[in-house]
Amino acid sequence: MKSLFQSLRWRIQAWHALLLFLVIGASMLPALHFAHESMQRRLEDEVQRLGRNLMRSLSRELRTAAGEEDRGPMVPSEFVRRLLASPIALPADLADSFQGDEPGHAYASFRNAEGETVFQTANAPAGLAFLPVHEKEYQGETRFVGHRCEQASSFPEGLAVVVGRDISPDIDRMRTMAGIYAGIGLAVWLLGLLGGWWLSGRAIRPIRTISETAGRIAEGNTDERIDPRAMDAELARLSDVLNETFDRLGAAFERQRQFTADASHELRTPIAILLSETQRLLKRERSPEEYREGLAVCSETAQRMRRLTESLLILARQEDSAPTESGSLCDLAEVVEGALEPLRAMAEKRGRRLEARLSPALCRGEAGALGVLVSNLVGNALEYGGDTLVVCGTTEGEVRVSVLDDGPGVPEPDLPHIFERFYRADPARSGDSGHSGLGLAIARAIAENHGGVLHASNRPEGGARFELHLPRAGA
Amino acid sequence: MRILLVEDDPHLRRSLAATLREENYAVDVAEDGEEGLSKALDYGYDAIVLDGMLPRLDGWEVLKRLRPGTATPVLMLTARDTVRDRVRGLDGGADDYLTKPFDGEELLARLRALIRRAAGQTRSRIEIGPLVLDTASRTVTVAGREVSVTAREYGLLEYLVLHRGRVVTRTTLYDHLFDEEDRSLSNLLDVHVSNLRKKLGIELIETRRGHGYIVP
Repeated sequence: MKSLFQSLRWRIQAWHALLLFLVIGASMLPALHFAHESMQRRLEDEVQRLGRNLMRSLSRELRTAAGEEDRGPMVPSEFVRRLLASPIALPADLADSFQGDEPGHAYASFRNAEGETVFQTANAPAGLAFLPVHEKEYQGETRFVGHRCEQASSFPEGLAVVVGRDISPDIDRMRTMAGIYAGIGLAVWLLGLLGGWWLSGRAIRPIRTISETAGRIAEGNTDERIDPRAMDAELARLSDVLNETFDRLGAAFERQRQFTADASHELRTPIAILLSETQRLLKRERSPEEYREGLAVCSETAQRMRRLTESLLILARQEDSAPTESGSLCDLAEVVEGALEPLRAMAEKRGRRLEARLSPALCRGEAGALGVLVSNLVGNALEYGGDTLVVCGTTEGEVRVSVLDDGPGVPEPDLPHIFERFYRADPARSGDSGHSGLGLAIARAIAENHGGVLHASNRPEGGARFELHLPRAGA
Repeated sequence: MRILLVEDDPHLRRSLAATLREENYAVDVAEDGEEGLSKALDYGYDAIVLDGMLPRLDGWEVLKRLRPGTATPVLMLTARDTVRDRVRGLDGGADDYLTKPFDGEELLARLRALIRRAAGQTRSRIEIGPLVLDTASRTVTVAGREVSVTAREYGLLEYLVLHRGRVVTRTTLYDHLFDEEDRSLSNLLDVHVSNLRKKLGIELIETRRGHGYIVP
C-alpha cells in the first residue's frame, strides 16, 4: 500500500482543498475588512455626534444655570470660558447614556490647560490620554483604545476634552459576523471538498477499470481486453495502446506456449522409446544380440532427440532475434555453393543428380543462417524429390534462390501446411528418425528474419519448387 | 490375451510389442489409424493400446468409429497431456489414458486392470475353490501351493477363468491366445488343456463337445 501522497486521487484532493481554501479566503477577507472599516467609520461618526450632543447639552445647561434663554450651541470659545468659570453637573437628558459600565456606555472627561479635571462622568476610565492644549488652534482626533472608541480634542481657550464610548457590543457583533463568515466559508469549503472527491473519483474510475482489467490479464485471463468504448477520448487512446500491447504479448505468449508444447510433444515419443526399451531390456538376462539391438535403438533415439533439440534451438533463435536488416553483405551464390558441398555425398548415395546454376547475388544477412535455409531446402528435395537443380541469381531488385526437383511434388492438400512446425506431408515417414519436422519451419523463419519470403509450389512439369526471395543489397 | 497395438513410431511400436509379448500377450500391431481400425473391427481383441497422433486416422477418430459397436477396452497412449485432450479421449470412449513418456510397468498394470474389468472381475486375485489365480504376478496356486505352469498354459487358464461360467469356443481361444504371427502353434490347444488338467485337476476345465471349454 502506497502512502496517501502517492495516490493521484489524494494529491488532486489536497491541491483542490488548498486552492479552494485560498479562493474562499480571498473572497471573504475583503468583505470582512470592508465591514470592519464601515463599522469603525460608523463608530467614529457616532462618537463625534456624541461629543457634539454633549457640548450642546452642556451649553444649554450653562445657559440655564446663568438664567439665559437657550439659543442653540455656543461658539467653542465662549463654551470653554463659561465651563471653566463655573463647573456643572451632568445634564439629566444625558445621564442615562453617560453612566454605568454596561456595554455601550458613554463617558466624557474635560480638563483645563493645567490638567485639572473640570468635568467628568463617573464612569470615565482612568488613564485617559488628552491632547495637549495648543495656543492657537483647535485640535481633535478620533481613536480606538481597547474596547473604546473616543474623540479627543483640545481648544486653544484651554480645554482638553475626551468623549468616548464603550464599543464592546460592536466588537461582539463584528466577531459574530466574522464567525458567521468563517462558518459559511468552512461549509462552502467542505462542500467543495466533497464535490472534488466525487469528481476525482469519477475521473479516475476509468483508470481503475483499466488497472483491474490489466490485473485480470496478469492473472492469466489473457483473452480479456479493455473496452475503449467505455472510456473518454484521452483514456480511449491509452486503452487502444494497451489493448494492442496485450494482443502482441498474448500472441508472443501463445507462440511461446505452442513452442513449448510442440517441443515437449516431440520429445515425448523418443523418451517413451528410451524408457520402454531400457525397461524391457533390464527386466531379464538377454543375449548379446538382443542387448546390441536394444542399444542401437536407444542410440538412434538419442540422436533423434539431439537433432530435434538443435533444430528447436535454431528456430527459437530465429524467432527471437529481430530481423537482420543490417546484416553483413554476402553473396548468396557463395552461400549456396557452401551449403551444397556437404549434400553432394548424400545425392550420390541416393543416386540423384545435384546441379547448381549460380550467378552472383548480393544481399544482406547472416551467411550461416542462410546456409542452413538452403541446406534444408536442398536436403528435402534430394530426400523426397529426385534430381535437384538449384538456381541462384538477381532479378528486379531482389535476389532469388530456386530449388527445383523432378520428384512427385508436394500433395496439393499439404501445400499450405508444409511450413508449419512438425507437419509431415508424408505420414508414412512420420517418426522416421532422420527428420524433426522442423526443417521447413526453420527455413521460413530464417527467410522472414531476413525480410524475405519463401514459397512452395508444384511445377507443371512435375516436381516441387521452393523459391526464396530476398531484398537485394543496396536496392 | 490378445492385444492390438496401434502406434506409428516404428521404434516405439517394436519396443512395446516386444514388452507385451514378453508378458505373454498375443500382440498384433498396426502403424496407422486405418490399419488399426480395420484390425480392431476384424478381431475381438482383449484390449487395444491406441496412440493418439496417428497418420491417416488419428486415435480419437479411430475411437469414434469403433464405438459403440465394439466394446473392446481401449487404452489411449498419447503425447498430448492437456486435460482437454484427456477428457476428449475418455469421453470419446477410451477406458484409460496414459501420456508419453510412460512407465512400462504402469502400462502393463493398467492393461491388466482393463482386461480384468472388461471380464467383470474387480480384483487381480481370482479364487475358485482351492485354486487362486493372481493376474498381477501371473501365478497359480492350489491350496496355497504354487503350481508351475507355462506361459501358454497360464494364458489359456486366465482367459477361461476370467470368462468363468461361459462356454469359450476353440475359435475364440485361438483368437485371443495367439497373435497373427503365431498361427502355427494353434493345434497345441488341446495339449495345453490336458496339461492344465493334469496339474490342477480334471474337474477344473470341462469340455463341451462341439462348443468349447468352460470353467464352471
